[in-house]
Amino acid sequence: MTPLLLFLLALPPGLEEVARTGSIMVDGDVAGRIQTARSAAAMAKPDPRDKWADADNYDVDAPAYIATKKTLMRLARLCPVNCDVNLWLPSPRGAGRVQIVIRNVNEMSQFWTWGALDQETPPEMKEVLATGARKMVTKRPGMVSALAPVRNSLGDIVGLIEVVAREGSAPQENVF
Amino acid sequence: MRAALLLLATASVWAAELRLLPEHVRVDPFGEVIEADRGGTVAGSALKLESARAAYVSCRVLVQIPEGGGYRVVVSSPLESELYREWFHREASGKRYFPDALIPLAAGGSGQMPDAENRIPGQSTQSYWLDVWIPAEAKPGRHVVEVSLESSTGRRRAEVEIMVLEAIVPGKDPLVIDHNSYGTGWFQAQYPQLAAREGDKFYLGDSFFSLIHAYHRVFDEHRGTYHQLGYGHGGKVGPEFAPQLTGSGRNRRVADWTLYDKHYGPLLDGSAFAATRRGARPIPFVYLPVNPEWPASFLWWGEPGYETEFVRVVGEMEAHFRAKGWTNTRFELFFNHKKRYKAFPWDGDETRFPHDFPFLAEYRRLLDKAVPAGTPVKFVYRTDVSWQMERQFREQAGVFDFWVCGGGMFGWYAEQLPELKRRGHVVWLYGGTPGVDKPASHITLELMRAWMLGADGFVRWQTVMPGADPWFRFGLGGETLVYPGDRFGRAEPLASIRLKLQRNAMQDLALLDALQPRQGGQTLRAEAAKRYNQTAVVDWRSPRPAMAATSPDTWTNADIDDALPKDARFDERLDAAAWSRVRAYAFSLAKEARP
Repeated sequence: MTPLLLFLLALPPGLEEVARTGSIMVDGDVAGRIQTARSAAAMAKPDPRDKWADADNYDVDAPAYIATKKTLMRLARLCPVNCDVNLWLPSPRGAGRVQIVIRNVNEMSQFWTWGALDQETPPEMKEVLATGARKMVTKRPGMVSALAPVRNSLGDIVGLIEVVAREGSAPQENVF
Repeated sequence: MRAALLLLATASVWAAELRLLPEHVRVDPFGEVIEADRGGTVAGSALKLESARAAYVSCRVLVQIPEGGGYRVVVSSPLESELYREWFHREASGKRYFPDALIPLAAGGSGQMPDAENRIPGQSTQSYWLDVWIPAEAKPGRHVVEVSLESSTGRRRAEVEIMVLEAIVPGKDPLVIDHNSYGTGWFQAQYPQLAAREGDKFYLGDSFFSLIHAYHRVFDEHRGTYHQLGYGHGGKVGPEFAPQLTGSGRNRRVADWTLYDKHYGPLLDGSAFAATRRGARPIPFVYLPVNPEWPASFLWWGEPGYETEFVRVVGEMEAHFRAKGWTNTRFELFFNHKKRYKAFPWDGDETRFPHDFPFLAEYRRLLDKAVPAGTPVKFVYRTDVSWQMERQFREQAGVFDFWVCGGGMFGWYAEQLPELKRRGHVVWLYGGTPGVDKPASHITLELMRAWMLGADGFVRWQTVMPGADPWFRFGLGGETLVYPGDRFGRAEPLASIRLKLQRNAMQDLALLDALQPRQGGQTLRAEAAKRYNQTAVVDWRSPRPAMAATSPDTWTNADIDDALPKDARFDERLDAAAWSRVRAYAFSLAKEARP
């Protein structure tokens, strides 16, 4: 592990602390209303004649989205270094799949497959979703993520946040 | 007698050959015309061409040395000429080769067959692209360009006869052909030698900005424009694309223009083009870095802080541009993000749902508040439309003044073009780029379509991505019209055959369009279409389908595809020579129009 990554992990309030705060601040009920029912249905039932139907019909409830994104942006301001806070929720396709629902300005993530609407749930996320315990991940070189659960008003874990930073992030990266 | 015949045959087999072909006939490294361009043209040692003045005229020079060995090609021309070696790209499957990238040479060049760099087993043929520049002051009449080949088997000679017409190609094009790209993050991968030389100073160093300007130049020199979007789907702005900001809320302001001015100054005052044949001219269009996250933070969306940050910084930009005298370029407010990329809650690009319209309209309000009325700086609000095109034409008439429309679908709504023009709006079409496996003429199809429909321009959505290994594992070039020169020690892009074919067609279109007052626009279009692909003007539009009366929210791509007419004259039956017939028509009219 590089000195910068160790620094990222250790500096107060470290990414894990931001993730812990995020667990409290992100409203799981509001987050659950972000994707519209119509959009979720289009994802759940693929159109055999149109492979882009799920993406073309991807849609969100703007107030729910904006409220949650603003919370994530505020959380990112707590990070000791440049970071993003992403929101992940289960995919309407079910079957152990997960989707990133809100990304942020630096477009950082250790998990997102660029352009994918949803994907297989990574083992690290499965663990967080199953146990509710926070988890630090250093999977991709130079990157560190803190995963933390998001709960709704019933206390159920309905998703998770990824607080992510990287060392040596180039200014030209993700400008496209 | 039999021995003499055998000797003759042997000599014929082994002799070096020098032959000429028109620009639209490409050959492979074994001397065969590539399948897409076949149609009866035979290479010879003489070629007759016509050209108007203030224009390029081009052809292909073939060197064939089946036995291999060294050679030298020399061009002797009374007119300025440029010779390019054509690179044979091996397609990813490894089965076929296509020429496309053009490596500049001096007036002549030495070569070796097979070419050691191109590494083609059994290569017998090298093709070259010859550009001859006919200046506006050239004397009309016959000019001869001589090409000679020196090899171990002797000397060969070929002659290009150019009949220079009195007509002069206007400098102004009847439409803009635009070449789009995204950011500069790809520079390092495409220019590894340059990046290694510059080290940590590569990005934002002098060579980096020179490279950006070189990209603008290569497209400008080919009668096109170049766009580089300077922000990502999440709103991250490259430091070379925007002034540096400081502060937040009422304290938000521009802190530093240094990198922005270094990037855009030579483009916006035109000095980046001073040494070109077209001369110093400001770029006609440029993206602004404005997006939902810049210059105002999305954190303040819907609150007073958003408007304050936006209006303050965009206002400062207007003042800066005005102070610099950058008043000939249209600065585009344009949103590229889509909901599917998960960073913002509305579609900026190809807006799918009408409930996103208010977000788009809000930026018109903010822009109008930021920019003083009567400013000489040209701000435009651009949108790229497809699904909701017709509805946006109608409902967002006061929001946008620059429409970039999906090419196929626009055919359904083309009758609305006069109304958009009446409003003073700019209307472009957008689409892709034909790969090298298509007939040579296909690169002219979309500019012909834009001209036939009366649009102001056409944008190719991606034009600088040749793939990870365009040289030996080529993906056929559907996302590029230039290639990185790094492999050949050049810190600049190399033009392609397709880019030159497009340039030459743009010249012809400029000439043709200038004849409108004499011939009438409809007659010109009807005759050009007939010669191009045996079509009528009406064939360039698509009948409005029944589904156009339904809500686009319910359409699928399959529905759209079903509703677009299938006409082989615009695809598999569009032959390589199609544009040469339009050119002949333009020249015939130009000759009739002699004073």
